[in-house]
Amino acid sequence: MILALILLLLDAPRATPLQGPALEQRTQEIASGLRCPVCQGLSIADSPSEMAVNMKAEVRSMLAKGYTREQIETYFVRSYGEFVLLEPKFQGVNALVWILPIAALILGAFAVRRVLRKLTAAPPSQPRVSADDPDLARVRELVKGATP
Amino acid sequence: MNRFVLSTGAVITAALVAVLMSGLGRDPKHIDSPLLGNAAPHFVMKSVGSAETIDIAKFRGKPVVLNFWATWCAPCWEEHPVLNETARAHPEVQFLGVVFQDEEAKIQDFLRRRGAAYPTVIDDGGRAAIAYGVGGVPETFILDANGTIVVKHDGPVSQEQLQSYLAEVVRK
Repeated sequence: MILALILLLLDAPRATPLQGPALEQRTQEIASGLRCPVCQGLSIADSPSEMAVNMKAEVRSMLAKGYTREQIETYFVRSYGEFVLLEPKFQGVNALVWILPIAALILGAFAVRRVLRKLTAAPPSQPRVSADDPDLARVRELVKGATP
Repeated sequence: MNRFVLSTGAVITAALVAVLMSGLGRDPKHIDSPLLGNAAPHFVMKSVGSAETIDIAKFRGKPVVLNFWATWCAPCWEEHPVLNETARAHPEVQFLGVVFQDEEAKIQDFLRRRGAAYPTVIDDGGRAAIAYGVGGVPETFILDANGTIVVKHDGPVSQEQLQSYLAEVVRK
């Protein structure tokens, strides 16, 4: 039998150890948020690769020992970096990925609202020629002459 | 006011594009290791070809070259002679092979035919590979005498690269 002991360098488990269907369901939930490092954009829940299967087994084993989702994610991030999280955390430069699209949307809505308000509140257009404009007088004359 | 909206929009769009573009030039298979500069994860694993176990902590006090590999990996065949040769030339450095996603009989056969200048352990369930953030084989980690990871090398390591990595830890 092969012995493999990895010291997790994590605090003591902070949750109740899971087993049975609850363990499987929670494993699936957490595995869905962890990236398979040897795949293209697949979670370890979706990838059939041996690496993903091993990582999923590790998630299951940690849940069975009572580790929380946060502790499990911390463990994987410590090894693989933030890359391993399919959804980047709301912190540091990653926060920009969340903030900027929302800021762009708000700004866009603000700009559209301003344009709409301007259009609806615009005063009736004023004639751009004065009544005594010689060109206008000439047009009036021609129109008059053309009347039967 | 329109100018303000336009310029703010341009700044936000530029920042968003910059964040997204920063990922485009990266090799998707390369993972920056957050373990660099940190203590190497501890493990005790079964040695290939014997019932003994190897505790990585017992190598504390000398630099360690930790090479993750597998017999099904062609680039691992390419670097195997480099590792063997360098291990023989540097007895002051401990070399250790970690094989994962493989079968012990195949590993033994490989080592018998291609030589084994240093011990090899088998990583059952890939737990050590996960702890070291391994994304594929071969990957090589260089640990200094204090057990701190100072280098992570993706892919087969050349003689020159290995020599330069060792120069870094041996002189410390």
